[in-house]
Amino acid sequence: MEPVIEVRGLTARAGTAVLLDAVDLTVAGGEVTALVGPSGSGKTTAALALLGEAAAGVRLSGTVRVVGIPVVDADGPTGAARDVRGRIVSYMPQHPAHALNPARRIGSVLTELARLHRPRGTVGRSAAADLAAEALRTAGLPDDIATRRRFPHQFSGGQRQRVALAQVLAGSPRVLVLDEPSTGLDTVTRMRLAGQLTRLAADGFTVLLLSHDHDLVRAVAARTVLLDRGRVSAAGRTRDVLPAAPRPVSSTPPAPVTPASETVLYARGLTAWLRPGRQGEILHEVTVRVPEAGCTAVVGPSGSGKTVLARCLAGLHERHRGHVMFRGEPLPVLRHRTVRQIRGVQYVWQEVRNSFDERRTVLEQVARTAVRLRGLSAPQAERRARQVWERLGLTTEHATRHAGAQSGGELQRAALARALLAEPDVLICDEITTALDTVSTELVTAELTRLREESDTAVLWIGHDLALVEQLADDLVVLDAGSVVDSGDSRTVLTSPRSETTRLLLRARHLGPVPAMSSEPAPTDVQ
Amino acid sequence: MLRYTLRRCGWTVVQLGALSVIVFLLTDLLPGDAATVDFNEQAGLDQVARLREQMGLDRPLAERFADWAHGLLTGDLGTSLVGGGPVSEVLSSSVGVTAALAAMTILFLVPLAVAVGLLTGLRADSRTDRVISAVTLTLTSVPDFVLALLLVGLFALRLGWLPSTWVGADDVWWQRPELFVLPLTVLLARTVCVLSRQIRAGTITALHAGYTVQARRLGVPPARLLLWHVLPNAAAPGVQELARTGDQLLGGVLVIEAVFAVPGTATALVEAVQNRDVPTVQALTLALAAVACLLNLAADLVGQRLAPRTEVLR
Amino acid sequence: MRRGARRRHRRVTGGALLLALPVTAAVVGPLVTPADIPSDGPPYALGGGHPLGTDALGRDVLTLVLRGGASALGVACTAVALAVAVGGLLGLAAAASRSRRLDDLLIRPVELLLPLPSLLVISVVGVGWRGHPVAVALAVAALNVPAVARLLRAAALDAASGPVAEALRLQGESPARILFGHVGRAVLPVAAADAGARVGSAVFTVAAANFLGLGLDPTSPDWGVVIAASREALFVQPWAVCAPTLLLVLFTVGVNLLADGLLAAKAEGKATAWNP
Repeated sequence: MEPVIEVRGLTARAGTAVLLDAVDLTVAGGEVTALVGPSGSGKTTAALALLGEAAAGVRLSGTVRVVGIPVVDADGPTGAARDVRGRIVSYMPQHPAHALNPARRIGSVLTELARLHRPRGTVGRSAAADLAAEALRTAGLPDDIATRRRFPHQFSGGQRQRVALAQVLAGSPRVLVLDEPSTGLDTVTRMRLAGQLTRLAADGFTVLLLSHDHDLVRAVAARTVLLDRGRVSAAGRTRDVLPAAPRPVSSTPPAPVTPASETVLYARGLTAWLRPGRQGEILHEVTVRVPEAGCTAVVGPSGSGKTVLARCLAGLHERHRGHVMFRGEPLPVLRHRTVRQIRGVQYVWQEVRNSFDERRTVLEQVARTAVRLRGLSAPQAERRARQVWERLGLTTEHATRHAGAQSGGELQRAALARALLAEPDVLICDEITTALDTVSTELVTAELTRLREESDTAVLWIGHDLALVEQLADDLVVLDAGSVVDSGDSRTVLTSPRSETTRLLLRARHLGPVPAMSSEPAPTDVQ
Repeated sequence: MLRYTLRRCGWTVVQLGALSVIVFLLTDLLPGDAATVDFNEQAGLDQVARLREQMGLDRPLAERFADWAHGLLTGDLGTSLVGGGPVSEVLSSSVGVTAALAAMTILFLVPLAVAVGLLTGLRADSRTDRVISAVTLTLTSVPDFVLALLLVGLFALRLGWLPSTWVGADDVWWQRPELFVLPLTVLLARTVCVLSRQIRAGTITALHAGYTVQARRLGVPPARLLLWHVLPNAAAPGVQELARTGDQLLGGVLVIEAVFAVPGTATALVEAVQNRDVPTVQALTLALAAVACLLNLAADLVGQRLAPRTEVLR
Repeated sequence: MRRGARRRHRRVTGGALLLALPVTAAVVGPLVTPADIPSDGPPYALGGGHPLGTDALGRDVLTLVLRGGASALGVACTAVALAVAVGGLLGLAAAASRSRRLDDLLIRPVELLLPLPSLLVISVVGVGWRGHPVAVALAVAALNVPAVARLLRAAALDAASGPVAEALRLQGESPARILFGHVGRAVLPVAAADAGARVGSAVFTVAAANFLGLGLDPTSPDWGVVIAASREALFVQPWAVCAPTLLLVLFTVGVNLLADGLLAAKAEGKATAWNP
């Protein structure tokens, strides 16, 4: 079969740096081909070359042919590249939500794109609307008029990704280039994405998948090209290029079963709203209990209300109703808490970069907790901060830097240290390992286990990595769409799930764990 | 969007109500009234008092306000203390030329500002951009009345190309388009500069935004990209600025009418203020404030449509 | 980025240089000139001991210009300073108040003033109090308060509800420290840039009111009044119009450049903060 995309000796130079070095790539029609490599390996540069596009200051050479049309030749992009964009090859960027025009209804953009690549006059207004509706259906969204009249900001994060996909599909291209589509997805959504990619290929689309998520690639791609620092290091059938890694047997000892002890934090009948005036109910009658020295995990797909629950308990989300008790006493919202209560319940969240002040060093900010909540002097606090700091695998060198100069993983641990300095009774951890590699994750879990054993600290763990949850948690609460759908002893819940959501989460796990972002050499950009 | 529109319109009604109170109080604070201005030279104190009684100026404030507000709602703007005729007549005889001036300004303002803003935004940091930006920055800093004087000096007095005053053109102003050239130029100079600078900034932001890059990658041709993808976003800060321009425009019209002796609302207002003709001042001020209020409303509604994300934070 | 920084720097220094002349004239002028300027020359004379000639009343234009800056710039600057102080307090208080009702109570009444046409109000006040500088300054300040309060409330709300403030609250920092230490510092550059733009337009409005004869006494040395009084003699004695005009324009161009540079610095700071 004639290859749809043929790349021979593609080279990209920026000044003296070589971004791509004689890359060869062949993409056959009607199947998924994966271009795999860590970030910085040149995946995006190669993908944009298929559109005849290069970033400012980057020179392309070699040959790129798309369905026989030369897009790049020895002198760089050709004039014919313009006819390829959107009509034959469509590219979906890594953060698709940014690709949606905030000022326009999605339907009008889809209709515009649908008419754009068809000969003038052949597509009337109603025919274009039908094409737009079809693109929405293919992307997995409802196609009614109400949906088409919405603005991008009226969709949830996951839906926005599908709207971006619909835009890419609207011009009926033959080739789809998807840049890291699984970034930031929870396991269930990631599983759905895998299904969708397979369906797209079955529908006749040629798909080029750019990813560093090996499990996803193994699940969907027929052929794989490995890219390493601008060179092709391997190419062939996926199962030859990326042999399945032996699945690590859950060798970690089961979580220490703590005897039924006093409940530290207890939330009963918690209902929360997003907007004022009890509009947009996001949690419905949720009950969670965290015993002393215990660990309760909350899992669920994104948008299920996990973070709102954590923020309610931390006292940051004030639009809620229900009972929150801390050591038998009602716990008010944060601004009405006593110092004892603030110190007792500490919260670490996922997106920490913006929570550090750019004007002070990170260590200085971390140490403030001990000054304010434990009454230590500034030097004492700094000494304590350095101790915690080192146990989490951060060096002294990190201490004197500002937040802007640190990677996402370093800041996540710094935020944990900031909370730990309060020596809390309950620590609420909201997806605090997303930016950590395996080694750092182990350091963090070891520190939490140590605190539970030595200081009787209780942990409320929020995450979607079930392997980690299994290892840490005694109790498990499964949230879906704001309601508790499953709860109880974590082992019982995971071995005999009672709800569809839990079964889905367990099934999604077999796509493998979400790869740690820090396996890349470059510091991760959280934004 | 509908809810926002209704809420915003409701708020405008409240604003108009409050404006009427403020305008009434403010004008009431004017020391001296028509009675004293007209008669303090020749008349004795008791004559002034009798006149005040005749004009109803001795009644309590609340009572007078209630009367005035009732009149407003029934379309009666009161009686001019100086001319003796109804204030609505003063308003209707002067509003035409002012409205024409303002409408023509806005008519020219929007396309001019968009064109200049887009041109400089597209070629940001080029020589064209730097020259135009320097000119617009300087022009925004030249007061209307100074510009008016300079242009009159050059084109009317020195070169004699254009008329310098509307005196003598009382009823036939719409037949003499050359009368409008200088006033419009002055009114446009600053507003176009202010607005185009906003649109330039918006264009630069929108040109580098992810959605523009993506639209280009999906094969949207350049002209279409500019009009349908960049402009709606680039215009958003400009529209918000337009609401504020409304205020500048009113101030500008006031100055322009004075400099060119245009027989418009602003001239009538200035005269009324100098004569302490309180009912006329009240009615004209309220009318102009209401126009500003409605301009604000329109700009907010258009802005909401262009940048729907900027819903109120809480 | 670097070129942008240099151009920005040039703008700020350029703005400061342009400001130097009018500000010096306004500050030093009243100290070196008599309060009552004598009419000691023929009307609209050029030369003859008067470096910039005389005006319609035979007064020395240089003395007039030196004397008139204080009212032309002083009233506007005082008014804007007052507006920023009051509006800033209101905005910060509204943003800091966690109850929506208090927020509304503080901000809504102020917003009622927004659509008031500024020149109209100043004219009425100017005529009412015969152009008394304090009355005019108060009026200009009152007109600017709503916009300042609204802008600073939005900026403060951004900072106060942001993750840095949340982290500080979870660390047990006091509300005062969060408000003044973190929120205040975040709002400061916004306030400075905004005040710069406002001074320019306030100077305009006051000068325009004076030009229209709705403010100060027609014999006052204020720049706006002098321009208006001498405008018929634009070609006979150009200095009487041009000298005060030039100072006025120098001032507003300078202030605009300065505000522009500050705003650009803010935008750039944001860009680097977002993309480390």
